[in-house]
Amino acid sequence: MNAFALLFLIAGLGLIGWLTARARANRFDRGNARRLHSLPGQHGMYVAMWTILPALLFIAVWSAVSPGLVRDAVLQHPAAAQLPQFDFERDALLAEARRVANEDGATAFDPVAQQLAAPTRAAQSRYRWMGTAAAILLAFAGAAFALTRVRASFKARSRVERGTMLLLLLASLIAILTTLGIFLSLLWESLRFFQQVPIADFLFGRHWSPQVIDAADPGKSLGAVPLFWGTFFIGAVIAMIVAIPFGLMSAIYLTQYAAPGVRKWMKPILEMLAGVPTVVYGYFAALTVAPAVRDLAVSLGYTYASSESALAAGLVMGVMIIPFVSSMADDSIAAVPTAMRDGSLAMGATTSETISRVLIPAALPGVVAGVLLAVSRAIGETMIVVMAASGAANITLNPFESATTVTKQIVDLLTGESEFDSPKTLAAFALGLTLFVITLLLNIVALRVVKKYREAYE
Amino acid sequence: MSSSLIPQLPTGPKEPADRAPTDWKTQAMQKRIRRRYARERRFRLFGLAAVILSAAFLAFLLVTMVANGWRGFTRTDVTLPIDFPVTGMLVERAQLDTRGADLALAGAGLENAVKGAASTAFGAGGEDFISENAWLRVREAIKRDPSILDRKVSIEVPASTEIDQALGGKGTPEAEAAVARLQQAGAITRRFNADFLHESDSTDPVAVGIWGALKGSLLTMTVTFLIAFPVGVLSAIYLEEYAPKNRWTDLIEVSINNLAAVPSIIFGLLGLAVFLGSWSLFGWRFGPLLPRSAALVGGLTLALMIMPVIVIASRNAIKAVPPSIRDAALGIGASPIQVVFHHVLPLAMPGILTGTIIGMARALGETAPLLLIGMRAFIVTPPGGFTDPATVLPVQIFLWSDEVSRGFIEKTSAAIIVLLVFLLAMNGLAIYLRNKFETRW
Repeated sequence: MNAFALLFLIAGLGLIGWLTARARANRFDRGNARRLHSLPGQHGMYVAMWTILPALLFIAVWSAVSPGLVRDAVLQHPAAAQLPQFDFERDALLAEARRVANEDGATAFDPVAQQLAAPTRAAQSRYRWMGTAAAILLAFAGAAFALTRVRASFKARSRVERGTMLLLLLASLIAILTTLGIFLSLLWESLRFFQQVPIADFLFGRHWSPQVIDAADPGKSLGAVPLFWGTFFIGAVIAMIVAIPFGLMSAIYLTQYAAPGVRKWMKPILEMLAGVPTVVYGYFAALTVAPAVRDLAVSLGYTYASSESALAAGLVMGVMIIPFVSSMADDSIAAVPTAMRDGSLAMGATTSETISRVLIPAALPGVVAGVLLAVSRAIGETMIVVMAASGAANITLNPFESATTVTKQIVDLLTGESEFDSPKTLAAFALGLTLFVITLLLNIVALRVVKKYREAYE
Repeated sequence: MSSSLIPQLPTGPKEPADRAPTDWKTQAMQKRIRRRYARERRFRLFGLAAVILSAAFLAFLLVTMVANGWRGFTRTDVTLPIDFPVTGMLVERAQLDTRGADLALAGAGLENAVKGAASTAFGAGGEDFISENAWLRVREAIKRDPSILDRKVSIEVPASTEIDQALGGKGTPEAEAAVARLQQAGAITRRFNADFLHESDSTDPVAVGIWGALKGSLLTMTVTFLIAFPVGVLSAIYLEEYAPKNRWTDLIEVSINNLAAVPSIIFGLLGLAVFLGSWSLFGWRFGPLLPRSAALVGGLTLALMIMPVIVIASRNAIKAVPPSIRDAALGIGASPIQVVFHHVLPLAMPGILTGTIIGMARALGETAPLLLIGMRAFIVTPPGGFTDPATVLPVQIFLWSDEVSRGFIEKTSAAIIVLLVFLLAMNGLAIYLRNKFETRW
């Protein structure tokens, strides 16, 4: 029986439990209605909860545990004695046996794996049946237990509500778990990386060439400074040179000058820029912008221009960021008290003087925070640089030359063919950790700035 | 803080007591005013230019995609005359009604027969005019009507990539010459390519379709929705309605706000390490928890990514429901849970759904995390379930954009048009929902 059928079965049992309990509660002595504590539906919910939740919990635990049990069972098989002792090779053979067991018509290259396929299949189906039977049994047991408690005086409502509350709490804990999961998994793999490569080599080394890694001294070719520079150059310099003036000026125009009708139409249109998927921007950058930039460089007399220049990726990324800057600037300009604007206008300043001497200085903390958030978004942006930037790690100030970024290298390192434990793949996690920490810091600083700024005016 | 931003007014006893009022009529003052007004106009123009240029960029992007992509929805067919008796193919007629028809026709050398017919019809090199898969079309025609094996017929077969490109004016000189000859003979047509919408990936750009990727996207989005929506809404309810104000609640809030700003690729790393990595617990070693490249893993990863978006949108929607509604419900004896589930949640639903649709649109366009968890496989058959190897539309776009063959450019753009249409529809739905159901109290 597959997992979906089982889930449907348990949900069906829950429904039956709900109907039964409700019917039973409906037959309670109505003359005595004042003594009834809960509604029939609440009795039903109580039974349904007891039917479904323990079984679901069991299925979750079982599906995590059973692969280990299957593995143990397979290792008991006489053919398993021929397996190599090393964990890595043994796991590969066991995985192959599992594949042969689960796919119709698949055959294994290795004879031992082929021999183990049958025992794997047997163990899998044995444990699957055990799990299914136990889950159904649990559902019935839960239903029976709950049904015996359905009585007129039983406080089903408080039980159900306590259960609901627990569910709500669990749901909100998932956010913490995700954050923790991100941090721990990145940290764990990065620590393994730093066991092989000294942390100083990684953070301060100026040579990045993961294609050829010297096994004796892997740190020599895994210095990430060119990546950090490229990320900063593309995301925080070139992209911001585009995004800040365009974003700020369009926010100013739309809030201060534009007629309401124009604003009503132009604002969503600009926001569409943020809704275009990044892969589309990447394709556009690679197909249209990059050749144009290269031609421009050549016409400027720069004959060795790269067709994967930092400028092309940065320009398109800047356009993508415009709406972020614009909406943050919009919010912080709107938060400036009208009295300040009116005062300036009453003194005879023109609108532009009011904007540049009063509104912008007053809104500056909000604008700065918006720019920081935009930078954090730009340096975490992946697809544009994967498709339009180059993989060559250069430290350069020339926008027509190629530069690479942290995100591009993460994708390159992890989509190649290499085993999971090599310094190459682990380096991706170290880069990820760096990226995570930097974006987190940028966000914290930005939120601090916004908070402080709000206190000043409210 | 504000004091440092606003210039201090000069204060002091030095103010002259009898200052003459400024004479605005003097030439210097008039010039100054003109200069200030000119600057005002310039500033305003800059603003307008910024808005127009941003919008123009969007328009340019869309126009480029449509201009490149509309050809992707069409295909070029060549009318190929085949004289079956001449080809000398030996096919057992009885077999054509059975399931072995495909095998029988392939075994009879249909592929070579079709190529031969092309050379006869179009001269030497004529077999390069038709697609590698052209014989499949002929096969279908024979299966529909076996009697054509006895006579000479004309069948429309897909043209090769070179001919297809040459018809669009982007081919080699030889191919363009060939196209000119074919056009003269009236043997070449363009038509809407319905196959693009229900085929899957292929190595031949004239034979590719997006259905495989689209189905992968739909499966992935289903998983994402089934996880992110309940979890996001429930945690928003908890945080907004019941959470006590303490350090734990603060921790949850900070986590959610930070998660909303974490780069998407980090979620790919999380999915790779947690769902697909090897685990060991209490001495037991597990293989990957979930199958690689599957819609299930992609959906889970994206669910974690868009959950904060849904939580934040839902909290705002719940916050917008006025307290008087809660008070009224409490007043007539509803329990706190009933207040929320019977009254607050239904009223907040339009806002929650709007936020959810926007989050789902973001997930639909997301590529980077899915690349890391291996959803970049070459998928020839559409995935049948949540655990089958799958790819999604944005990743398919990425994969096609890497192809060398020129024919893929228009296919990539066509796939982008499909993706944008979906996103536009979702965002339009969100706006419609917001306008139709949003209540202002």
